[in-house]
Amino acid sequence: MAEEQSFYQEYEIFSKRTHSSPFQYQFSLLAPNEDMALVLAQENFMRREAVVDIWIVNRKHIRKMNAEEKLSLSRLDNKDYRMTKGYGYLRKKWRKYEQEILDEKEILSWGGKRK
Amino acid sequence: MSNPENVMSADYKEALTSLLFQLADDDLMYAFRGSEWLGLAPHIEEDVASSSISQDSMGHAAMYYQLLEELGAGNADDLAHSRPSSERRNSILTERVNGEGVYMETPLYDWAYAVVRSYFYTQAKKVKVESLCKSSYTPLAEVAIKVKMELYYHRLHWETWFKQLMGSTDVARKKMTDAMTLVMTDFGDMFSFGTKKQLIESNRLIEPEEVLLQNWKMSLEPVFTGLQMTVPAVPVPKKNGRNGEHTKDLDQALRTLSEVYMVDPIAVW
Amino acid sequence: MESIQSTSEAERLARFMERIEADEKIEADDWMPDEYRLTLIKLISMHGMSEIMGALPEKEWVPKAPSLNRKLGIMAKVQDEMGHGQLLLRVTEDLLAPYGKNRGDLMQDLFNGDLKFHNVFHMETKTWADAGIIGWLVDGAAIITQTDMLRASYGPYARALKRICAEEVFHAQHGESIILALVEGTAEQKEMLQEALNRWWEALLMFFGPASKETTGSSKQDLTIKYKIRTKTNEEFRQLFFDKYIPRILSLGLTIPDPTLHFDEKANLWTYQQPDWSKFLKIIRNNGPRSQARLNLRRTSYENNAWVRDALRATVS
Repeated sequence: MAEEQSFYQEYEIFSKRTHSSPFQYQFSLLAPNEDMALVLAQENFMRREAVVDIWIVNRKHIRKMNAEEKLSLSRLDNKDYRMTKGYGYLRKKWRKYEQEILDEKEILSWGGKRK
Repeated sequence: MSNPENVMSADYKEALTSLLFQLADDDLMYAFRGSEWLGLAPHIEEDVASSSISQDSMGHAAMYYQLLEELGAGNADDLAHSRPSSERRNSILTERVNGEGVYMETPLYDWAYAVVRSYFYTQAKKVKVESLCKSSYTPLAEVAIKVKMELYYHRLHWETWFKQLMGSTDVARKKMTDAMTLVMTDFGDMFSFGTKKQLIESNRLIEPEEVLLQNWKMSLEPVFTGLQMTVPAVPVPKKNGRNGEHTKDLDQALRTLSEVYMVDPIAVW
Repeated sequence: MESIQSTSEAERLARFMERIEADEKIEADDWMPDEYRLTLIKLISMHGMSEIMGALPEKEWVPKAPSLNRKLGIMAKVQDEMGHGQLLLRVTEDLLAPYGKNRGDLMQDLFNGDLKFHNVFHMETKTWADAGIIGWLVDGAAIITQTDMLRASYGPYARALKRICAEEVFHAQHGESIILALVEGTAEQKEMLQEALNRWWEALLMFFGPASKETTGSSKQDLTIKYKIRTKTNEEFRQLFFDKYIPRILSLGLTIPDPTLHFDEKANLWTYQQPDWSKFLKIIRNNGPRSQARLNLRRTSYENNAWVRDALRATVS
C-alpha cells in the first residue's frame, strides 16, 4: 500500500529509569512525527517501569554498520596490558613494602567524604 | 470542617456529597467511553497509549467513589454500578456515545469527536482539579493533588492530537470542526454544580462555576490563537446532568457497564 | 553486505546454518536465506495479528467487567494484547522491508484472508466467565508456546517475546483471580464457570494445532524447529499444557468435559479425546463461529479511521 508507505516513520525509543542511570534502548514504534512519537512512547514501552526521561530518535538518523563493517569489531584477546589483570603481580610486590595495591575497589572508594 | 473526623454540618455534607458524585460520575463515564474504543483506535500505538488514559481516569473515579464510601454514601462499586440514571451527576458530554453503532458489532466511532471531547474535558478537569487542590475538605484536596499528577500527560497527549489534526488535511479540519460543534452543544453543564451551586461554592469546596469557566477559556486560548481560531462559547445547558437530567445514551452506557454486576449485585466478582 | 564477491550462495547458507547451530542471534539486517525470512514472517505476522484480533473477544467484556477493579484489570490486560501486537508487527515490518511491504499491507492481507489469526480467537464469548477462561487457560496455552521461543534464533523476536512473557505473568494472575472469585462465589457463578470451561475445552485442545501434518494437511512446525525458532512440537506443547493445568483445573472441583482423559504413567503422556479437527480446518479458513464478525469489526474500524491516517500522513516531518 503506497497509501501507508509515507504515513509511518520508525522511531527508536530510549528511556532513563532514574536520574543517575544511563539511557537504555526500549523498542521502536511507528508515528508520523516526533511530537506524536513522544506522546506514544511511554505508554507503549514503559507502562510498568519508572521513567525520568525519554529520547526519540528517527531511525533514518542512525548510522548502522553493515556486515563487512562489523568484521572490524573483532579484537585479539592479547591486550592484558590494557587491563588491571595485566598488573595483578603488583599486589604481591607491594606486600613487601607493607602497602596495598591501588585496586578498583580502593580507588573508587575515594569519591566520598575523606575518612 | 476540614477533617472527616470532625462533625460535619448537614449542609456541608450535602454539598460535598453532591460535588463528589459529579466528579466521580464524570470520570467514570469518560473512562467508560474510552474503554469502548479499546482495540479500535486508528493506530495501534495510539490504542495502547489512549487506553492508559482511560485506565487513569477510571482510577480517579474510584478515588472519588472511595471518598463517598468513607462518607457513608455506600460501597464504591455499588455507587459506580447500580445507581439509576436519574441519580447520576455526570455532565452530558461524558455520557455521549462515541458514534454510531455498538462496540460489539460494527461501530462507526468518530475519532475527531474522541479527540475534541477528550481535549476539552481534560482541560476542564485540570482546571477543576487545580482548584480542588485548595478545597476546604482536606481528603478531597489530597486526592486532587494525586489526580493532577496524571493530568499533565493526558493534556499533552490530547493537545498533540488536537493540534495535529487541526493543522492537517481539509477533511480532518472539517471533521474536527464538526466534532467541536457537537461537543460544545453538550458543554453547558460542564462547569455547572446544578441546584447545589450555592452550597458547594459557599462551603469553599471548589471555586465558583464562573471562575472555573474563565480559567478553562484561558487555558485553551494559546492553542486556539496558534491555530487562528477562537475558543468556542459555552452554551446555557438544555439538560443539566448535575441535576440528574440525562440522555438515552446514559441508559445504554449503564446497561452495559452494569450488565454482569447486576447478575448478582451481592456476589463477589 | 553483498560486497564479498567470492561468497557463493551455498557458502553463505552454510555460514548462516553454522551461526544457527552455534546459537548466535540473527538480526534484522543480517543476511538470511529466504526460507528463514519467510518462515519468520509467516510465524510472527500471524502471532502479531492474533494479538490484535485476540484483543477483540476479551474486549467484549472490558466495558462490562463487574467491578471498578475488574474493569481496570481487564482494560490493562487487553491494552497489553494490543501492545504485544505492536511489538510483533514491528518485528514483522522490519522483516518485510526488503519486499517493500508494511503494516498497511499486513492489514490488507488479514482482510483478504491471506494472513490468518489464531484459531482460538474465532470463538464466541458468552459470559463473564469466558473472560476468566481466556485469561487463565488461553493465555496459559499462549505462555507455553511463547516461553518456548524465548531463545529463538531471531534476536528481535526473542527480545519482543521477553517483553511479552514478562507481561504474561500478570495476565496469568489476572485470569486466576477471576477464576478463583467465581469458584469461591455463588452456585450460579460456579455454574457459569463450568459452562464456560465446557465450551472452551475443545478450542484449548486445538490451540496447539494438530500433532502432525497428516491430520490437517499442513504444518509449519518442522521448519521452525530446524531454524531453532522453537524447540517443541505441537503435541509436546499440548502435553506440557495438560501437565500444568489439568491438576489445577481439577483442584478447583471443575469437571473437564472429556471422560476418557487420563494420565498414562507408562507412556508418561496424557490420553485425551481428540478434538474435531474438521472444525479446526473450517476455523483456519476464517469460517469459525465468530471469524467473519471479528474480521468485519477490525475492517470497519480500520476503514472508518482511514481519514486519521491520511491526516497524520500530512503531518510527517
